[in-house]
Amino acid sequence: MKTYLLASLTLLLACCYVGIVGITFAADSDAGEMEMLIFPESYKPTSGSNGGTISGVVKFEGDKPEMKMLEITKDVEVCGATEKYDEALVVGENNALKNTIVYLIDITEGKDFDKAAKLEMDQKGCKFTPHVQIVPLDTRLTMLNSDRVNHNVHIFSTINTPVNKQQTKNRRRMPLAGVKKAEGPVSVKCDIHGWMSAWIAYVPHPYFAVTNEKGEFTLEDVPAGTYKLGYWHEACGTNNESPVEVTVEAGGTVTQDFTLKLK
Amino acid sequence: MRIRTIALLLTVFGMLVVFNSAYAQNAPEASEKGKEVYENSCAHCHGVEGRGDGSAAENLLPKPRDFTRGLYKIRSTEAGQLPTDQDLFDIITEGMPGSSMPGWETALTANDRWEVVAYIKTFYDGFKENENPPKQITLEGKIPYSEQSVEIGKELYVELGCVECHGNVGRGDGTSAPTLTDSWGFQTWPANLTQGWNYRGGFDTEDIFKRFIGGIAGSPMPAFEGDSFLNFGLTAEESKRLIELENKDEMTEAEEEESGQFYEKMDTAVDIALSIKEGAEMSTTQMQTYNDAMKVVYEKSWHLANYVKSLMPEERPEPAIGNNVLRSQYVQGELPAFDDAAWETFEARYFPLVGQVVIEPRQFNPTIDGVHVKSFYNDTEVVFLFVWDDRTHTTGDETDETTQKPLEDALAVQFPVKVPQGPTAPKPYFLWGGRLPVYLWHWKASTPDQVTELTAKGINNAETQEAQGELQVQSAYTDGQYKLWVKRTLKTDDKKDLQLEPGVFVPIAFSVWDGSNADVDTKLTMTSWYTFTLEPVPSSRRFVYPPIIAILSVGLLFGLRAFVQRRNTEDV
Ligand code: HEC
Ligand code: HEC
Repeated sequence: MKTYLLASLTLLLACCYVGIVGITFAADSDAGEMEMLIFPESYKPTSGSNGGTISGVVKFEGDKPEMKMLEITKDVEVCGATEKYDEALVVGENNALKNTIVYLIDITEGKDFDKAAKLEMDQKGCKFTPHVQIVPLDTRLTMLNSDRVNHNVHIFSTINTPVNKQQTKNRRRMPLAGVKKAEGPVSVKCDIHGWMSAWIAYVPHPYFAVTNEKGEFTLEDVPAGTYKLGYWHEACGTNNESPVEVTVEAGGTVTQDFTLKLK
Repeated sequence: MRIRTIALLLTVFGMLVVFNSAYAQNAPEASEKGKEVYENSCAHCHGVEGRGDGSAAENLLPKPRDFTRGLYKIRSTEAGQLPTDQDLFDIITEGMPGSSMPGWETALTANDRWEVVAYIKTFYDGFKENENPPKQITLEGKIPYSEQSVEIGKELYVELGCVECHGNVGRGDGTSAPTLTDSWGFQTWPANLTQGWNYRGGFDTEDIFKRFIGGIAGSPMPAFEGDSFLNFGLTAEESKRLIELENKDEMTEAEEEESGQFYEKMDTAVDIALSIKEGAEMSTTQMQTYNDAMKVVYEKSWHLANYVKSLMPEERPEPAIGNNVLRSQYVQGELPAFDDAAWETFEARYFPLVGQVVIEPRQFNPTIDGVHVKSFYNDTEVVFLFVWDDRTHTTGDETDETTQKPLEDALAVQFPVKVPQGPTAPKPYFLWGGRLPVYLWHWKASTPDQVTELTAKGINNAETQEAQGELQVQSAYTDGQYKLWVKRTLKTDDKKDLQLEPGVFVPIAFSVWDGSNADVDTKLTMTSWYTFTLEPVPSSRRFVYPPIIAILSVGLLFGLRAFVQRRNTEDV
């Protein structure tokens, strides 16, 4: 009898949930919404000890694409010293896909951010490095200008306040105020050098990783449990509609690879 | 007595205005009335749902604002803040010059304008969520306009990098100008700072000051707030000293320490500024540090605003109509060469251009404001100097997608083949003639030392003349401005050419193409007919009249003053 009650209650709740989701999706039929990361309602930093590790490799499906060369239209001595490529799609050896965000969608408790980590994004050779930057909430990101030319840092936030601030050639380090709301990834541009492009994700918990040249990612100290594992890639999109489930055991390591195609 | 009644009325009216603006700080709750006003007057541009996608939006650039993202260009508030209700009310009242956004001062009552302010705010939730009123930019401590202030501002213009987009002398021709897009992905151009009348939000020094401190949200133009300024947190002297130290090849230990202290001071100031932005509470000493730092920033900002103000004339030049016709000045002997100082001796006549929207393809979003023209003539020849601002130098390297024709900058000067006899005689159709033909000089940026003579009976019916006369041409493009110099004999042997004679009023019109704005064929900016004349050779009488007129008008002024004074005393 009890189980029956519980089951029907769950069913009822599930219906409500589907209903709500259905409605929100209908309201936000904007395709852009589907390209965003999914964040938990709330997150509580407790301890991340005795956790497990999720790691894997992200690959690109299909033939390795040609890198698109960028046209350098100004400050050529500084910006055009080396050839520049569009980093929207960087495919390395063995089809390794760089700059993919891999993260836990539904974690609500776990380790705290590494407070000592330096959060910097450089503008060097009129290119943002890194191309994808994870920024914890309430944390300052320092923009570096290694170029000795004028840049403007334009962050196209829609949930947080957008930023568009000049970083003159004499300003080597320019910290930006921390933000309060999880959002992203949001596009970062320099209007002065129109080809410069990067992404920032403002996140509420530390279980986010960005793949390296080899397509590798690692999420450490994940409390034992089953989680939805999501990804985001600038050119390949997200798996928001069907995230992968992974189960982590204390002290264990699980491997989850992905193969992505152009959206 | 009557005067006093009027004064009373004026006072009452003034008080009404004041009360009105006190109420103005807070627009009323959104109402049915606001919706009605919006749907009747605004929705065909801004869209029923405020997304900027009304039926008229397609052909417009800049696009009508999408109100759902809370991005407003013209604000009295700091970077990242929403506009105040008053800001919205003012921009709706005055409109946005240089765009299709009309002013509603006469078409809507003040009350309706307030209702519509409340209504457009409902398109963006941020207005509701904000508990605190937006932070406004302080306008205290204004530094008056002076040459010295302008000089300091000029340095800041380069130091802060305004020059990247707005160009060396502010014509909107910076090296970054061609690649700019707005937050919706549409192409956008930096303002030509020498044309204040096209500023969206007014060109008073205060307006300029607010624009670059707060930034122009939704556009690529960044905000230049506190720590965007070099050496934020240092006093002017400290800043000077630090630059001095930084320029040394090697610093002594003491100097190292000195500069280290400066850096620390700057870091502290930046840290406080960021904490304030993040919403943290600050102690009194911290606020003091911040205010001191901001004082320096504000001083610099006034200098910069004064510099920008110095770039433009007081008002938009009057178009050359009425008595204001283009008069060619007589000189004896040689006509002035391309860069002769003689060109600087008098003011140019100004011919404002509009997009050609009669015939397909049309130009709804012109980028060239107008052409300045001067002219001299002597006994045998006439010379013209045409000057116009164009942000880009386009010489036909790219082609138009639909016509496959090269896109390039160009200018055509149009005259009738036969000068109409008298002011009421018919002129050829202004769009390059029709039944009555026109004679044109056609100049293109790809062949800058050449002008082609055309005869036309309609804009799509122009022919290159078989006999090309002896036209001398010279041109240059510098800092976002074209200068074109054309010399011709007054009379030619060709019957299809215009023949010139002193004292005769000749219709003149202009067509201008901006290649980077996809101007090609009939997609262009142009004027209708204006008047040009070779000012008759001055006789001695000309030197007699002006002094007489001057004496007469001074006398009249005195008389008027005496009259007014007498009236006033009688009245009291
Ligand atoms: C003919 C088309 C048109 C109509 C009609 C029109 N607008 Fe606009 N409006 C524009 C355009 C275009 C812009 C953007 C100009 C720009 O970005 O430079 C604009 C911008 C605005 C802005 C933004 C101001 C800012 O600071 O950024 C407001 C507010 C506005 N319009 C309100 C209204 C209201 C209210 C009405 C009706 C009473 C109205 N508009 C009618 C074309 C129109
Ligand atoms: C990244 C390019 C960029 C930089 C750098 C830049 N501007 Fe602008 N500016 C623009 C653009 C684009 C516009 C046109 C905005 C619009 O109406 O869409 C503009 C418009 C303006 C306007 C006209 C405002 C109005 O009411 O229409 C002023 C004044 C101005 N800028 C001043 C400055 C000053 C001063 C600086 C340096 C402190 C500066 N700008 C730096 C791109 C830039």
